[in-house]
Amino acid sequence: MPTLIIDNQSVTVPEGTNVLEAAQQLGIVVPHFCYHEALGAVGACRVCAMLFIDGPVKGMQMSCMVEAKDGMVVSTEAPEAVAYRSQVIEWLMLNHPHDCPVCDEGGECQLQDMTVASGHSVRRYSGKKRTYQNQDLGPFIAHEMNRCIQCYRCVRTYQDYCGGTDYGVLGANQRLYFGRFRDGPLESPFAGNLVDICPTGVLTNKPYRFTSRFWDLQEALSVCPHCSLGCAVIPGARFRELQRVRAGVNPEVNGWFICDRGRFGYDYVNHPDRPRTPLLHGEELPWSEALEALQQRLSELIDRHGSDSIALLGSGRASLESNYLLRRLGEQLGTAAPVYGSHAARDRAARAVTDLAAKLSASLAEVRSSDLLLVMGADPLAEGPMLALAIRQAVRNGGRVMLCDPRPVELPCSAEHLPCQPQELPQLLRILAAGENLPANLQPLADALQQAKRPVLIGGSDLLGAEGSAALLAAAQKLNSAERPCRTMILLPETNSFGAALLAGDGPDFDQLLNDMDSGRIKALLCLEADPLTDCPDRKRLLQGLEQLEFLAVLDHLPSLTAKKADLLLPTTAVAEGAGTLVNNEGRMQAFAQVFSPGEPLRFTGQGGHPPRNFSSTTPGALPCQAWAVLAELCGLPVNLAEIRRELAAKEPRLAGLPELSAEGPGQRVLPGNGASSSVPPAVATADESLQLLVCETLYGSEPLSALSAPLDPVCPHPYVLLQELDAARLGIAADDLVQLTAGGQQLALPARLSSRMAEGLVIVPRLRGTELESFYPGQPPLPCRVEKVSTP
Amino acid sequence: MAEKKQLRIATRNSGFIDPENIDSYIAAGGYQALGKCLTEMTPGELIEEIKKSGLRGRGGAGFPTGVKWGFAAQYPSDVKYVICNADEGDPGAYMDRAVLEGDPHSVLEAMAIAGYAIGAGQGTIYIRAEYPLAIKRLRIAIAQAQDYGLQGPDILGTGFGFEIEIKYGAGAFVCGEETALIRSIEGNRGEPYTKPPFPAEAGYWDKPTVLNNVETLANIPAIILKGADWYSSIGSETAKGTKVFSLVGKITNVGLIEVPMGITLREIVFDIGGGCPGGKKFKAVQTGGPSGGVLTYKDLDVPIDYEHLAACESIMGSGGMIVMDEDACMVDISKFFLNFTMEESCGKCAPCRIGSKRLFEALERITLGHSSLAELERLETLARQIKDTALCGLGQTMPNPILSTLRVFKDEYLAHVLDKKCPAGVCKNLLEFYILAEKCTGCTLCTKVCPVDCISGQVKYCHVIDQDLCIKCGACLEKCKFDAIVKR
Repeated sequence: MPTLIIDNQSVTVPEGTNVLEAAQQLGIVVPHFCYHEALGAVGACRVCAMLFIDGPVKGMQMSCMVEAKDGMVVSTEAPEAVAYRSQVIEWLMLNHPHDCPVCDEGGECQLQDMTVASGHSVRRYSGKKRTYQNQDLGPFIAHEMNRCIQCYRCVRTYQDYCGGTDYGVLGANQRLYFGRFRDGPLESPFAGNLVDICPTGVLTNKPYRFTSRFWDLQEALSVCPHCSLGCAVIPGARFRELQRVRAGVNPEVNGWFICDRGRFGYDYVNHPDRPRTPLLHGEELPWSEALEALQQRLSELIDRHGSDSIALLGSGRASLESNYLLRRLGEQLGTAAPVYGSHAARDRAARAVTDLAAKLSASLAEVRSSDLLLVMGADPLAEGPMLALAIRQAVRNGGRVMLCDPRPVELPCSAEHLPCQPQELPQLLRILAAGENLPANLQPLADALQQAKRPVLIGGSDLLGAEGSAALLAAAQKLNSAERPCRTMILLPETNSFGAALLAGDGPDFDQLLNDMDSGRIKALLCLEADPLTDCPDRKRLLQGLEQLEFLAVLDHLPSLTAKKADLLLPTTAVAEGAGTLVNNEGRMQAFAQVFSPGEPLRFTGQGGHPPRNFSSTTPGALPCQAWAVLAELCGLPVNLAEIRRELAAKEPRLAGLPELSAEGPGQRVLPGNGASSSVPPAVATADESLQLLVCETLYGSEPLSALSAPLDPVCPHPYVLLQELDAARLGIAADDLVQLTAGGQQLALPARLSSRMAEGLVIVPRLRGTELESFYPGQPPLPCRVEKVSTP
Repeated sequence: MAEKKQLRIATRNSGFIDPENIDSYIAAGGYQALGKCLTEMTPGELIEEIKKSGLRGRGGAGFPTGVKWGFAAQYPSDVKYVICNADEGDPGAYMDRAVLEGDPHSVLEAMAIAGYAIGAGQGTIYIRAEYPLAIKRLRIAIAQAQDYGLQGPDILGTGFGFEIEIKYGAGAFVCGEETALIRSIEGNRGEPYTKPPFPAEAGYWDKPTVLNNVETLANIPAIILKGADWYSSIGSETAKGTKVFSLVGKITNVGLIEVPMGITLREIVFDIGGGCPGGKKFKAVQTGGPSGGVLTYKDLDVPIDYEHLAACESIMGSGGMIVMDEDACMVDISKFFLNFTMEESCGKCAPCRIGSKRLFEALERITLGHSSLAELERLETLARQIKDTALCGLGQTMPNPILSTLRVFKDEYLAHVLDKKCPAGVCKNLLEFYILAEKCTGCTLCTKVCPVDCISGQVKYCHVIDQDLCIKCGACLEKCKFDAIVKR
């Protein structure tokens, strides 16, 4: 641990720290452009120059390039260093356009800050500025090359960190150009990070362009709700509209970056069809009357049919506190425990994951530092994009990736792929754990596992199911030892699936609820941010059940199918409009803070005019309430989040850390479960000769919130069916042929895509919301299906 | 090649053997050194021998070769590499080309020796694609060496294996810098990165790599055969052996020379080079290519080795020597070299990317007569700043031509800045063509040849040049039969 002196202050830093970081530890502000915590130093910008007075190196040095060593005496304030830094700033400003007033980066521009700090204010250079032609980088990123200061951050982020290959640096000397090598949109699903990383206004957020100034935005620390990883995000809102999302920093989870689904999926909050007023049979009514009506209806039904005629449905979309209060409401009404999740198989898988002794679970930080990643039945880019990025970092650090998956899983790094049938996965995991009777094709996997020092087993609950998830956890437990830690990471379907499953315990699942609805016992259903009509794989039976209900109440912020059918609809807030806690797939509780208050965006109420011409004493569309607050009121509890968290922590020992949680910091793991995973019976494999249909999630279009986000529309895929090349050849199908898919009593005509990397005998369709493919459900065993080429007349 | 005062070690075979015939090389003692290393020496002894010989890198920086090999040998790794840097990019320099075209086997042999010393089994020659003949001869040489078992999995039956492949450079000057070169071979953009780690620790594909220049390698077989003591007896105190220079420019005997280190500039220019042609006065010599500096008539007795050149704000470089006579304008020369480095800057770091342009613009204003004393001072400060703070060797040495000419020829700069005159008569904007009234006969020849019709006057009367219109093409001066037109 070297100790050095910077500006007459002594600091001791870990071996390998550079002087810039050491100075930052002392709270000294060091100007820099090319250095970034996540990207490291490259020594291109030359603005972190310091004067090294004593020690192993002397003279003016770039502090980011010098490793801190004992005996160094460094000055950031030496006149030579100050003069040199301002010289570099002046250089960088020679070519930079003076367009701050119309630049989106204004106010959060590092170049602006550094220029002001360096004191450069008068232009001495009289030559011409160099100018460039910009590129159309697609729907997310606006390009303005004239502002570029050549710090190389974008290239290092895009190519090195994110694994993109279509964007980079071109040209040399004064004509350096950062852009795509050929026309077209940026291909990487992490391209949005360029907005955060660019220290000036070259790469800015296109959907957010010219909407707000940074200082006008309402911002707060939040958690991304678009998958189960729970990345830190900082949403920004203005004029009652969520306008953008930027990456937050959580070293344990996402690090400094987020994916484009998380960045551009925010627009569901502003959706024009969003429920904004309580509705009873389609009639608007005030909140007080709505709550009264709900209570009255419920007590009526309880009086008439008994308390077990009321069913409660929570979800992995709702916060931990709301889900808990739903259970609390049930206890007060004397109903059965709530069902958490409208998709029974997914719910059971999530519960199997929750049951793990949590110390086995890996954070994304641990994935990044792992040396072997076995990805068993997970498609990280679709089910948790930032996991794919974490895997890439492991590979960059010398790690190895092996995939066992029926799908042609793509990763932004090299990986060894072993196609297999989905139902084989649990058995593969059991064999791998036992280490005996290995089939030849598994030998490399087992060998790699043997040699790895920090392996992580990665799975996706949709493909593994409860049985596979339990097998994966058991395998990790078996392979884990004090000397050789083996960790797991299983992707779950929703942002708070872990929290909901944890609260569910051994309560009923949706299949039981369907049975009870069939039998006519259930008279009323209260849905908390759940949409069973879209998510339950047995829609026909559910519809029949709903027909028999006397009362359907829905609390939600999405214009969902179930919400449209509700007798009583209570509008709730989206994540950014409230506070609460989400538990991510590794069991990390993360609190999120309220960014802004709900209301109908000025963009809609003002009909495009500015400033608004209509004034009222109330805020339009401001009625949505936080679900936990509504439920607390129904329970007769004080509307106080801290108190609810304390109560929940007392009741659920695994959530003991909840009361101390704050939106700042990396969150807190739930305590380990007893690990005595209820043995899940192996599914009986049905020997079937016909093709099997596997339904999968995709990066865009499958996740319910981002599917409603307009900025993502241009990148949402159109429906297609994916066939193994050999199967397609057998069926006489070529790429882009129109084929007829018959499965589950449905017939669809879809264009065919072919892959040589997927397992044989399978047909894959993506579950795309709002398309004909919405009626196929992921997280289910494959369906027998038939595929035929549509003969064109 | 004038043999006087010369001693040929690196170029010992060039011109004497058939470069496309391995037997010819073997007859001249070739591959004996490799045989001796493999059968009689351990890698440790071999490295000690090279260290003892005092051989320093001939690519420019002059790092002791034995020490470099020692570093690469000490890092354990399953795979190591030897890279031969044949990306000779300095304008007017072709030492490496002469060796590769005239004696390719000596380089192959030396690479195998280096491989044996550090424990590498693979070698790569990074050669610029503009050397087709060298590439052709290297290919022939590699094939022949493979046939003879002098390259391949089991060299001379000793169990030591070494294979060489050729990679082409696309002519970027910065790719001669070792880190940029490695990135280029790996298929990346040829951009330098900051050392450490040095290539000896983590180079090509992050494996320990020894990177040597062609000329350095060509010395190795001779050292092995004749011994380190013999080699270290040649040369100066700090630099042993010989150096190949390519002597070009305003010099009578143009060509390659190989001389012992420590020889004086006077011996090179006058004894070997035969002085400037046409009896013109010797003014300066640019060494080290565009990254180097100038040695002047005042430095004629400076011994040529790494340290003495550095003391004159120049560098040894790869060995280009461009001789200038009294007709050269030093400001113009600096501008020429700066233009080269500015264009070859990769653009990665700010001082090199932006600073080079500013330096160039400042020099241009001087040659146009638009500069001031304050700007000249700023030019010098800026040049020093860039030298101290640029990322790689290219940027750090880029201001050398300016700094070294300022050292001796500040008067020329001042003449441009203060008097708006170019003493050598090179900078057009500072020239004036003037008709001497006493000599002009009014023959009208000049008016006919002037492309812009700026000369006026009646037949048989003295003519006048309109200075505002004159484009200083010099056509009238050449045409005048009476020497009535002068430039000043």
